[in-house]
Amino acid sequence: MRRLVTAVLLVLLAGCGRTGQGPKQPVIGVSMMNLSNEFIAMLNKGMEAKARELGVTLIVNDAQRNAEKQVQQVESFVAQKVDAIILNPSEVEASSPAVDRAVAAGIPIVNVNSETRSAPSAFVGSRDEESARIAMEYIVKRLGGRGDIVMMHGFMGQAAQLKRDQGAREVLRKNPGVKMLADQTAEWDRAKAMSLMENWIQSFGPKIQAVFAQNDEMAMGALMALEQAKMKDKVIVVGVDSIADALEAVKAGRLDATVFQDAKGQAGAAVETAVKLIRKQPVDKQVYIPFQLVTRDNVAQYLK
Amino acid sequence: MTRLLGRFGLVIALAVLCAALSAARPSFLTLGNLVNLIRQISINGILAVGVTFVLLTGGVDLSLGSLVALTGVAAALFAHPGEYPVIAPVVAGVAAGALCGAASGAVITVGRVAPFIVTLGMMTAARGLALVASGGRPVSNLSPEFTALGGGQVLGVPVPVIVLAAVAAAAWVVLARFRMGRHVYAVGGNENAARASGIRVGRVKMFVYTLCGALAGLAGVVLAARITTGQPNAGVGYELDAIAAVVIGGTSLSGGVGGVGGTVLGALLMGVINNGLDLLNVPSYYQQIVKGVIIVGAVWMDRSQHKS
Amino acid sequence: MIQAKDISKSFAGVPALAGVSLEIRAGEVHALMGENGAGKSTFMKIVAGQLAADSGTVDSGGGRVAMIHQELMPFLDLTVAENITMGREPAGRFPGTVDRGAMRREARELLARLGSTIDPDRKMRGLSVAAMQMVEIAKALGWRADAILMDEPTSALAGHEADLLFEVIRDLRRRGVAVVYTSHKMDEIFRIADRVTVLRDGRSVATHAASELDERRLIALMVGRELTSQRPAGGAARTETALSVKGFGGAEFEVRKGEIVGMIGLMGAGRTELASAIYGLAPGQGEVRVNGRVATIGSPADAIRHGIAMVTEDRKGSGIVPRMSVRENLTLASLGAVSRGPWVSRAAEAEAARGQMSGLAIKARGPEQEIATLSGGNQQKVMLGRALLARPEVLILDEPTRGIDVGAKTEVHELIRRLAREGKAILMISSEMPEILAVSDRILVVREGRVTAELDPRTATQEQILAHAMPEAG
Repeated sequence: MRRLVTAVLLVLLAGCGRTGQGPKQPVIGVSMMNLSNEFIAMLNKGMEAKARELGVTLIVNDAQRNAEKQVQQVESFVAQKVDAIILNPSEVEASSPAVDRAVAAGIPIVNVNSETRSAPSAFVGSRDEESARIAMEYIVKRLGGRGDIVMMHGFMGQAAQLKRDQGAREVLRKNPGVKMLADQTAEWDRAKAMSLMENWIQSFGPKIQAVFAQNDEMAMGALMALEQAKMKDKVIVVGVDSIADALEAVKAGRLDATVFQDAKGQAGAAVETAVKLIRKQPVDKQVYIPFQLVTRDNVAQYLK
Repeated sequence: MTRLLGRFGLVIALAVLCAALSAARPSFLTLGNLVNLIRQISINGILAVGVTFVLLTGGVDLSLGSLVALTGVAAALFAHPGEYPVIAPVVAGVAAGALCGAASGAVITVGRVAPFIVTLGMMTAARGLALVASGGRPVSNLSPEFTALGGGQVLGVPVPVIVLAAVAAAAWVVLARFRMGRHVYAVGGNENAARASGIRVGRVKMFVYTLCGALAGLAGVVLAARITTGQPNAGVGYELDAIAAVVIGGTSLSGGVGGVGGTVLGALLMGVINNGLDLLNVPSYYQQIVKGVIIVGAVWMDRSQHKS
Repeated sequence: MIQAKDISKSFAGVPALAGVSLEIRAGEVHALMGENGAGKSTFMKIVAGQLAADSGTVDSGGGRVAMIHQELMPFLDLTVAENITMGREPAGRFPGTVDRGAMRREARELLARLGSTIDPDRKMRGLSVAAMQMVEIAKALGWRADAILMDEPTSALAGHEADLLFEVIRDLRRRGVAVVYTSHKMDEIFRIADRVTVLRDGRSVATHAASELDERRLIALMVGRELTSQRPAGGAARTETALSVKGFGGAEFEVRKGEIVGMIGLMGAGRTELASAIYGLAPGQGEVRVNGRVATIGSPADAIRHGIAMVTEDRKGSGIVPRMSVRENLTLASLGAVSRGPWVSRAAEAEAARGQMSGLAIKARGPEQEIATLSGGNQQKVMLGRALLARPEVLILDEPTRGIDVGAKTEVHELIRRLAREGKAILMISSEMPEILAVSDRILVVREGRVTAELDPRTATQEQILAHAMPEAG
């Protein structure tokens, strides 16, 4: 019985493996923080497109938000002697050993989208502070410099949450007319954001003039709570990330704005940088892909 | 009567908490907020009612959160506007949940594998299925008839609240008045005695896991309708909230003792805590501490009431 | 050596002990007698310090008191030596470590003092009940107990095992250890006890030297009245076969309508296994016919459908559902009969429960009382009632009077006879020869899973039964 199970598992595993690798194609090992996140999945897609274009092979692993798993994945890339590694770190500190392993083995490693404490060969990404700054500046402009707002945090303590918080507060400091009534975490989650918004509606009611959600999932949750309370026309809602749902909502005039983080741009630059490193060509140590504000006026160009 | 008094500690905890909250924030004790509060507990409440059956037999189901995601996706796939009647996504979600629950139940009864392990496996597998079925992306663009199941109202009462009330009432009838209910208590109270009394223990277990899965499916449908998408990464950790509500409600983790009434009170207590802490704008970090303390405190109070 | 004065204790307002005083002397075997629910176990637990009295004092003069419970509570997956030294393991060379060699030596020494040769390295699981008891006593000796309280130590022992235990008790007495002892078996008391104290309804009725008492008088003290337990005249000839069994590794017998067949054998002779296989509770290959028709039985549910009901031996393990009420326990095997479709009819169920409670004289505050709070004898009657509500043709009773008191025992015997008179076919398993001889119409002796003899209780003697039950010499 046990032997049978083992055999079946082996067949399944073999079926999952990639086949038909060319002999001379460079191989890049990729460890993604969490492929069930839509943005990360887009990042992954962008990289695969770029890899096809440049004729390199990608081995993509999903760390499922687990930094320890990520370290293991990079270790096995090192053992497989891949030509380069692209790391999409799940945590600043805990994913650092992965970078150290690659550097120690002399394999070039590119961090994409988020940072680690250890310095990789190159970093490609965007500055999270900037996204919050763009969103908050939009809200301030719409309110004419005066008004009451609420803010939804991501998962407390994660790099993106900390930086988006920092960026939003920078703008608030420069605009004392805009006051934050409350800020609370909804853990990047749509259902949680909806509940949180409902509770805020109960406690602040019409005082709320704008909502800044640190990602689009939460913005969508807040949006639905406001629509159900028939308050949406009086409240500005802005998110970050430009996920498909959010773009549709912007197009339909429901969501006021989102901030486009250029997954394709980051993905392409990451693969290009890795290939250059393999060919020992000079690269920029830090490549920043700019954010863009998406409103109803320009949403068409982001919808495919 | 004794059963009601048995939950006295919990009722007091709930009353004290509500009194304190309405003193601190007058907006707490408004009809609007109370409806809001019950709507917020509806998903956890439906899950908790389902898992009450499982815990009563002395089992456990850890797959609920993943099932919510999977069944939400399953429902959403059938809920695009103009494709199927609105019953289709509901049936799809509930059936997907029941199927997964039945699969767990079959492995538990036929394979004699511990429920903890089986449902842990189901938790992972169902999450994977949800990702496969949705291609890893939220399934959106759902028909307004479907989303009304999450956001609509009937005579001023939100639909999720009606669903929870119906589920809880039906579950109460089954547990308190049906033969199957008695069998559930007997299996949890003394499995060997139940078997020797001619109860088909395997069937009872199949029933509870299937029912629990089906209710997780219903919760998944309501959630997808409420957030207007089927999200493959929804529901993480929901199983623990549901089990907490059941245990707060006085159902023993070792089975045989408890019931749906307590579970609803437990879910209510957790809802009041969440709602109250948001209303008081307690900072996120502190919320978690306060929540933990109140949950353990409520159970402690309830148990010491029991002894006297 | 132990002075207990005016001990009172109530549980949930129900008095269990009311002002019991008792003096236990060093080097005596003191029997504590009384019906179940008389307060013996409660009293022992208070003397052993495991339960706090509501009022009264226990003075053990600094001596150590150990208690051996009726239901043994060993750590089944630890070794004998680990169990014996539990809580005072000899320290090893490094802090926090255990000197396993010393542990083994000590266990072997203690067991040797009891004349036992159990291997200290064996796991507890798999030991016989008698051997586990030895380990418990060795543990008590290891604590250098000055008094050992034993709550029904022989209830699960076969005759020769009990003899061995008595040897140990006599040896303890010689060493000056006080032994307090409870049992329902009268003959044991007169074999072993120096003094006897009788408890009734939580009060101490009398303390006598054992030599001053006889069985009749002792029973009268315990129940407060004289009992007559005589074997009634044999019934009419019974001809209709209700149950016939063939197979199951060498069993072939019949039970006729209105007949009580007693099945006896040593511990481990395979009686329970045989009965469980007939009832579908344990695997087994054989043919069962009820009223001449073949019954295919894969589970107790099938057995019940074919008219066979069984009261299992292990009341706690596979009998009562402790947190359920008397009513719920009674109707557990017959819910279908009191239901309409999926609905349990509360009226029909209450009526069924009340019927059994009065028919079997179950003493409870009411049908809603939790069964766990009833005495053993009353719990057993509930089990009997549960089986009867399933309306069986054939009733299998496995040790129907284990661990219940004298008064209840006679009542249960009377009930069994009455059921037979009403036409039920009864297969009764028992380890107690007097019970088998007093109740059965026919006796089957079982050895190694096979029926080795069929005897007539009117002519059979205990020696004869034993001769068939013992493994062949060699």
